[in-house]
Amino acid sequence: MTTQTEKTPEIAASPSKPLISGVWMRRITALAPVWTLLALGIFFALTSQTFLRPVNLNNILSQISTLAIFATGMTFVLLTGEIDLSIAAVAALTGMISAYLFANLKVQEPIPLLVALGTGTLMGFLSGIASTRFRIPTFMSTLAMSLIAGGLTTYLSKGRTISQLPEVSVFLGSGRIGGSNGFRVLVIVAAVSLLVGYLVLKYTRFGRYVYMTGASKPAARLAGINTNVILTAVLTISGFFAGLAGVVSTGRLGSALPAAIPSFLIDTIGAVVLGGTSLNGGRGGMVQTLIGLLIYGTLRNGLDNIPSIDPLLKDVITGIVLFVALVINVLLAGRAPRDKTG
Amino acid sequence: MNAAPILQLQAISKRFGTIQALDQVDFDLYEGEIHALVGENGAGKSTLMRILSGVYTEYEGEFLLDGKPVHLHSPHDALDLGIGMIHQELSVMPELSVAENLFLGRQLTTRWGTVDWKKMHNTAEQELERLGFSHLDVRQPLGNYSLGTQQVVEVLRTIISGARVIIMDEPTSALSPAEVERLIRLIDKLRESKRSIIYISHFLEEVMRVADRVTVLRDGQKVATLNAPETNVNNLISLILGREVNATLPPAISTSNGHTLMEVNHLTADVFKDISFTINQGEVLGIYGAIGAGHFDLARALFGMYRFDTGTITVDGHRFKPNHSARYAIRHGLAFATESRRKSLLMEEAIYRNVTLPHLNRIGSLTPTQSQELKVAAPAIHMVNVQPPDPLNPVGKLSGGNQQKVAIARWLTFPPKVLVMSEPTRGMDVGAKSEVLSLLRNFRNQGYGVLVVSSEPETILTVSDRVIVMSHGHIVAHMENKDLNKDVLMRLL
Repeated sequence: MTTQTEKTPEIAASPSKPLISGVWMRRITALAPVWTLLALGIFFALTSQTFLRPVNLNNILSQISTLAIFATGMTFVLLTGEIDLSIAAVAALTGMISAYLFANLKVQEPIPLLVALGTGTLMGFLSGIASTRFRIPTFMSTLAMSLIAGGLTTYLSKGRTISQLPEVSVFLGSGRIGGSNGFRVLVIVAAVSLLVGYLVLKYTRFGRYVYMTGASKPAARLAGINTNVILTAVLTISGFFAGLAGVVSTGRLGSALPAAIPSFLIDTIGAVVLGGTSLNGGRGGMVQTLIGLLIYGTLRNGLDNIPSIDPLLKDVITGIVLFVALVINVLLAGRAPRDKTG
Repeated sequence: MNAAPILQLQAISKRFGTIQALDQVDFDLYEGEIHALVGENGAGKSTLMRILSGVYTEYEGEFLLDGKPVHLHSPHDALDLGIGMIHQELSVMPELSVAENLFLGRQLTTRWGTVDWKKMHNTAEQELERLGFSHLDVRQPLGNYSLGTQQVVEVLRTIISGARVIIMDEPTSALSPAEVERLIRLIDKLRESKRSIIYISHFLEEVMRVADRVTVLRDGQKVATLNAPETNVNNLISLILGREVNATLPPAISTSNGHTLMEVNHLTADVFKDISFTINQGEVLGIYGAIGAGHFDLARALFGMYRFDTGTITVDGHRFKPNHSARYAIRHGLAFATESRRKSLLMEEAIYRNVTLPHLNRIGSLTPTQSQELKVAAPAIHMVNVQPPDPLNPVGKLSGGNQQKVAIARWLTFPPKVLVMSEPTRGMDVGAKSEVLSLLRNFRNQGYGVLVVSSEPETILTVSDRVIVMSHGHIVAHMENKDLNKDVLMRLL
């Protein structure tokens, strides 16, 4: 009853004007991922005493750093409306290649690193060629590439973990600058990846072509953009960053594993999309990806910091929160388009 | 035809805002009759058919079926009462078999509720044989057959689903001559089996062949209903246009002076055959055809957006390599705006970015800045007089006419040698139309070549120096635009 009496005069006073104007509503909804991040941060700050400690915040950064390298490449791919399902397997392969060259063939640094990065780039390029020249959907070409990369990893490693790693990998993955309590090199690598991605997307001609190809392939082609080249390029970029992430993650883990870590793929796509980059292409960017990564990291880390939560339920809760956040984002982004044929 | 009509419309009126789309129109249809409906674009044909097929439910006037008043509330109602509509764009499923398409949405089932394939195939075969299409394999996917056959299947589906009245909207525009003949034979068969057909077409020769009666609409009013044997094509054209027509054709084009900018020789693809023409400096060439004549795909082919099989394109002395890309076409002096603005412009992007998109590589640096781009785009945006003129506005917020101006401005920044425009004035009001057309004429006056491809005779006649008419994928006429008028274009279709 009371709420009704409170509301009535307001509505009567301005019958045609909603409480929040359309412009403001759009600004608020455009920032939905930021609100999600704030809400999660406040929630964990209130429920856990350890969450806000600098050590823990630092932890979040290093936890999302590997993901951030993957996500830089994935953002390019999703912006064109395509997908790359091979990143986790490519990363496993490149990590294994650099370790194998160094440990078993005694190849000098930095050749193992360069070969690994080259392999990742090449695999992305091949997926791109398969998709554009032979019109295989990227969903399938990258899935096939994932099997190939996974198989090569197994073949090369014979199922064994290699823990003798090149020093570059160790430095990039778990080194620190300025003593044992210094800044993690991994975080810097991730930040540089995101920054380069940001600059390329925002300021270069190529970046514009990526957005336009994703927004409307016919329109891009009519403007003379070779969309096949753009699609091949974004998959190549994704392959390069997957390769880098692979080398870095071996350094972080201290060993090259004989199999891919499947959660890399899901977490990467989850984080990028959560940030607000559209799966249909054309919308989003590196800033959104950064926010998506922070949401993801906050969520994963925050759950660890609440002792009363069964650790075995962590994935379930992450999944549910991801689901809810995506639904909220979609709801805030507005209703379905009027024209259902488009 | 002495019985009562099965369908009667009495004094039907329909308004859209201030526009009177239909004004007191009467129409009737007898059993076993083919009744053609003709008129210009916008004369009210489609509005009338949408009322008949239950799409528009609000109108004034009486709608009688078998002498009883009815009021349709949806297209589904219309089907239940036996009125089926065949749209210009087919609604068949190419992946499904012929039989499945014939029974789409009403598959025959066994008593267990599963699909009764045997019965469906048998019935489909019987129906096809009865109507003279026994050569179709009902188990083949429909997509394996030609467009004409697919259309026949859609007509048969409407009949099998129990339609007594079939509305055909421009059924022949995309068909080859042989397919047209086959459709006409089918229509004759339908007449024998006492079905009634409302036949809408731009092709008056065809109308004279198939129709028993013809009703002419003009500006939302019924002008006349005539018995087909008592009229002829010239008479119909003068009724459609509302004035006497000049029956002689203008003289064919003589040799033209001026430097040839574009030369197309024997260009052939699936939907157009052996197309040859030239465009001179400072000249507007118009290509006119009914929807489905192949002229829009021809325009796409010139720009590298539609694959052609043989033939050559030469622009300013440079012969294009076969199946060039759009990028290649732009680089060699060709510009193109499609008939669908929604496809060629990026609606969410700013006006200036839409203008500079094809030219980013010419702006110079690898990292174009907003000020660099604005410097290039602003004069062009100003020249075409986009309203409102703020180049930072997204294109999607502009009216159709202003969007089209952006599509033109895009090619004024780094002018091409030849500008190809499909349907430059579609869906615009009179003011916007004349603005866009005068822009094209300015372009011509500056010595560029312009190719306008359209299905709107007014547009072609207003802007062109020379006119080519295409029908069913072929060039059927090539004339200078002197004393040309709509009746000539209509007769040539």
